[in-house]
Amino acid sequence: MKTLQLEFYKIRRRNVWLSMFAMLGIQLLWGLWAMRNPKDWELASGWMSLLYSLSVLDGLMMPTIMSLLASRLADIEHKGNTYKQLKTLRPAACLYQAKALCGTIILIVLLALQAAFFILYGYCLGYEGNPDLHHYLLSYGLKFASCLSLFLLQLLLSMLFANQMISLVIGLGGSMIALLVMFVAHYSFLPWGGILSSTLVGMDWDKTSRIITYFYREYSPIETAAVVCIFVWVVVFYAAGHFLFTRREA
Amino acid sequence: MQMAVQNLIETHNLTKRYGKALSVNTLNMKVPPGAVYGFLGPNGAGKSTTLKMILGLVRPSAGAITLFGSPMDEKNRIRLLTDTGSLIESPSYYGHLSGEENLHIIQTLKGCTKSDVDEVLKIVRLTDAKNKLVGHYSLGMKQRLGLAAALLGFPKLLILDEPTNGLDPAGIQEMRELICSLPSEYGITVVVSSHLLSEIDQMADHVGIIRRGELVYQNTLESLHAHAKEQLALRVSNMTIAADLLRQEGIETQQEEGWLLLPMLEDALAAKLIRNIMEQNISLYRVEQRETSLEDIFLTLTGKESSL
Repeated sequence: MKTLQLEFYKIRRRNVWLSMFAMLGIQLLWGLWAMRNPKDWELASGWMSLLYSLSVLDGLMMPTIMSLLASRLADIEHKGNTYKQLKTLRPAACLYQAKALCGTIILIVLLALQAAFFILYGYCLGYEGNPDLHHYLLSYGLKFASCLSLFLLQLLLSMLFANQMISLVIGLGGSMIALLVMFVAHYSFLPWGGILSSTLVGMDWDKTSRIITYFYREYSPIETAAVVCIFVWVVVFYAAGHFLFTRREA
Repeated sequence: MQMAVQNLIETHNLTKRYGKALSVNTLNMKVPPGAVYGFLGPNGAGKSTTLKMILGLVRPSAGAITLFGSPMDEKNRIRLLTDTGSLIESPSYYGHLSGEENLHIIQTLKGCTKSDVDEVLKIVRLTDAKNKLVGHYSLGMKQRLGLAAALLGFPKLLILDEPTNGLDPAGIQEMRELICSLPSEYGITVVVSSHLLSEIDQMADHVGIIRRGELVYQNTLESLHAHAKEQLALRVSNMTIAADLLRQEGIETQQEEGWLLLPMLEDALAAKLIRNIMEQNISLYRVEQRETSLEDIFLTLTGKESSL
């Protein structure tokens, strides 16, 4: 617990929260612009369209945001060459767990703020009814797991390599991969496609009426497997990071 | 009956291998309590690797480490290191935090008090700069902060790897004085590594000399000084007969590069022996008084490539 508290103490003046809020701010600005002046049919399926749009947005942005978060948390140790001191005071496993938990808490706050803002915005726009609590909770749960897998992958890279460009480039590359996945499928077994796999809402665009119909997706066995794969990635990246960091000599 | 003094650090055949390269080879180090143990060796001799193994930062390929009388393993490592402070290679710090905030982190991890932070800041003379961001510190100040972090909680054992690196002459002098005072003022045993003999000579009372991963000398500094003996060197026409004559007088000699080396003698005895040699029709070309300096011994032990 002390080690976790110190993680938050250490990121003072590193603008970690500010950079996360800046990323969230970009999403909010996009939301304010893209969802303005909804038509009647958009208001009717507003809550479903919101879930769909957020998944697309997060699918594109989260790989980069997670690489930024992991990099901000890890590079303070590389810059000051602190691991060799910390490892004489705490077991390496404890240091890794504290770092992972710190990032996880920031991620939870980030997703909670995003959900709160967009739901509030939905009400302001006059979306009909209330958000489907079951689908929203499930969607955010899966999104959290998917973002967590990306964060743990990035943390692994950021803690192992002093040069943070490696993890940042992989994070940006992940966003590109997510964009490509979006064009070809509704699911992916790659870690960067996890958010798309867990999009609970599908859409159908009618060319003639130019109306989009949203619906809750029926998951085929392979799509279900892709969702399960998100949790596999979480376990794999956590275990790999834990193993590599604890085995690494200072 | 005299009780055997328990060494604070003991290594038993400690070995570290990186691929085919042997960085530390069957090293048996013994650090007695209350000592300033100078760990001396040329660059790349294996000093840092040895110290890192003692701190559990590097896994030994073979051998064992005993700390405070207990064999160290992965399970008890952190517990044993609770009473240890360290400064390895370069100081560790968070540049975006102030000096005091940096020490607060170590204080929390070590579980010591805020007054300890104030005291170590005072000892390393950083009290006035405690609110300044460490990123804006000079190298010497960072080094002092590193020492303050190591001193926090006033551990029983302090391991310092080349602590004077990057310090100006005044800073080096200050660091030396501080290290020398630690055993008497705070009861701290210090292991300090350096590649500079003069530095160890001024700080340590025990010395271990490492060369290519092997501990080639370990004893008190006094004992090392005793090796720095004076000799008489004779250059004569017949070394064999001269050596026999000296042996008959109970003087053991060595022959080296055409010189006959014998221990320092009283003036009267030296005159008598020289007379005896000359009476045997042996020509005496030269008589020299030679001194084996500490530097010579160090170079002999570590090889000529070592820096002093």
